[in-house]
Amino acid sequence: MQAGPMDEPPSILWGLDPIFSAFARLYIKDILQMTESVQVPGIYFYNNHPIYKVDVLGTVVYKRERDDFFCYGVDDGTGVINCLCWKSELFKDKDDGAGAAPGPSDPTVFDPVAELKKLKQAQQKRCRLEIGELIRVRGPVKTSRQQREITASVFYKVEDPLMAEQIQWMMDVPELYRECYDKTFQLQSDKQGESADSPLIKATNLIKDFIKQKSVSKFRTYDVLDLLEPLISRQPQAASADPEAAGPSGCQQVRQLLKEVLKVLQDEGVVYRRVKTQDEVYHVTERDKDLFIVVKDIIREDSKREKYSEKGCHVLHILSAVRQRHSFNVSKAALEIVLKSLVCNSDIVSSSDKHYTAF
Amino acid sequence: MTMLPPTAVFYFPWEVKSLGEGKSVRTFGRLSCYEADESRASLSCHHASKEHKVFVHTLFVEPFNPIIGAQYLVLGETESYEGFGVMIRARVLNCVDGVNIALLQKAIEGQRSFFRERERKDGGVAQPADKI
Repeated sequence: MQAGPMDEPPSILWGLDPIFSAFARLYIKDILQMTESVQVPGIYFYNNHPIYKVDVLGTVVYKRERDDFFCYGVDDGTGVINCLCWKSELFKDKDDGAGAAPGPSDPTVFDPVAELKKLKQAQQKRCRLEIGELIRVRGPVKTSRQQREITASVFYKVEDPLMAEQIQWMMDVPELYRECYDKTFQLQSDKQGESADSPLIKATNLIKDFIKQKSVSKFRTYDVLDLLEPLISRQPQAASADPEAAGPSGCQQVRQLLKEVLKVLQDEGVVYRRVKTQDEVYHVTERDKDLFIVVKDIIREDSKREKYSEKGCHVLHILSAVRQRHSFNVSKAALEIVLKSLVCNSDIVSSSDKHYTAF
Repeated sequence: MTMLPPTAVFYFPWEVKSLGEGKSVRTFGRLSCYEADESRASLSCHHASKEHKVFVHTLFVEPFNPIIGAQYLVLGETESYEGFGVMIRARVLNCVDGVNIALLQKAIEGQRSFFRERERKDGGVAQPADKI
């Protein structure tokens, strides 16, 4: 049963799956059986996870050598796969003449020729394997001539005389499957490519963006009501044709949504109502110059007083002073936004976690 | 096209004799005797208060340095031999003396239980086989 294009997650979202960027430690059996993507050949799927590079540890059971590469058949006990291992430049250089290990050299003198020779020999030791030896291979999976193979980006012989590495690998892999590979790749996307945020979060972000972009310092509800209309019209209209339906009308929904958004914004301190009258005016905290001046003055004056000169003014003291002088409706959250901004501008200094003082 | 040998699945030494001919296996045991002229070695393993022996045909892996009493890992195909029952024709014979046999056994059992769990979950749905 091949996974059709409908079953594959869209390729634009593959980067969201962390397994896609990792060398997946799958069993060779699974690597051989992964389905190839219909959207992008060369990418494969295991349990809906897009995979393109893997990491295997196994015994060499087949070997073929050419001038440029080795082809090792690797068996991990669940499957056998070909690994194409290109020889590095260092490896390919023929030994000049002797071929024997360089003679004992004076340890105080650095002889680059001798060291390079030692490096070449070490490289050859790690890369030339015989049947029966343990190899580690990491690299992308390719299907070439209808056979799956791994093109090694890294390969080396693993010295494992006590089988400790193999045993550890055998114990790690089922855990990896349970924790990562066998968990489904959860994707939330609808046709329009929007995130699955609730309408309230979307609405709050809309208003915040509007305030920022238009440098709004204060507004009334009707100024922002139409911003939220697109959100409501996108909701599925259930029984919209039925005039006797008791559901709220579009207009009422928008008003209700705005009410909730304004509550959130006030709770966060982003906006506040300086004066609570019939006329609903909302002041944007960060743009309220008067509020900033009042807070600065309070801190400056009170820091001179003996009572506060040492530790500074506690935030709650500042809050009660602001409420007396400026507006009773300033919330702690709004004050904290002001204080943070003043500290960033170096107008005041935070002497401790909740204390502020002027220079 | 590369002809790769078949996968050698891990089996315990006491399971080997009940396997048929032509199975690719890998197993382990202590080298109890080696007859160089016959190219025959025997690996033994103690399990459930019984001594289990696995016979190995060593022609393809000779010459090797036989250390009597050391643990070995063998990888190869099962064949039946007159008088010996099942013998493994070794493609790989590695000395792994010092291996933690109990841990190895646990790892093999862990891997098997993972595959059994998986079989059960899939409910026997055939996987698409791209291997040729």
